[in-house]
Amino acid sequence: MKYTILSPRIGTPGDTYEPVDGVNVEALVAGGFIEQSTVKAPKGAKTKTDTNEE
Amino acid sequence: MATSTYLSSPNVTVNSVSLQDQCQGLTFTRTIEALESTAFGSGSRVYVAGLENSTLTLDLYLSFAATETYATLKSLVGTSTTVSWSPSATSPGTATNPTMTLTGAYLEALPYEMALGALGTISVTFTGGVYSVVEV
Repeated sequence: MKYTILSPRIGTPGDTYEPVDGVNVEALVAGGFIEQSTVKAPKGAKTKTDTNEE
Repeated sequence: MATSTYLSSPNVTVNSVSLQDQCQGLTFTRTIEALESTAFGSGSRVYVAGLENSTLTLDLYLSFAATETYATLKSLVGTSTTVSWSPSATSPGTATNPTMTLTGAYLEALPYEMALGALGTISVTFTGGVYSVVEV
């Protein structure tokens, strides 16, 4: 899981937040301090299937 | 005589959130429970160390603004977290400016009052956890 810093209270906004042991990450998300990154996995290349039967 | 005077720079973080600009006081009591082991023949009570059960109380201004005091604490009630503090925010973690940490400290309650014309404040107490000091 990857998180991005939103609040300067915990670091530089825009930087990746690295969870530390003992820190309640859900509380940071609920408080608006970090957000879960929405980077999507790249899609695989489309393959064309030839369905013509000759 | 050397003394410690706390002016403007003590630092405190709760769940890795810096609340330096919202904190006005802090009380830490390191407690290791005393277990009585007095036996026949003792002329006075004798104790041995039990479990550690330290407490940290933070006196904070209660701001409901985004990413301020309330936003930091609201989801921590009933859970354990990490709280750190140091006499100065400048170069913490040294022999003359140690960083103290309670890891796994439990927040039982979030008590506050609202009074017309008064500045909102809140005192929260973290209990338990593992105490450590960085003073390299």
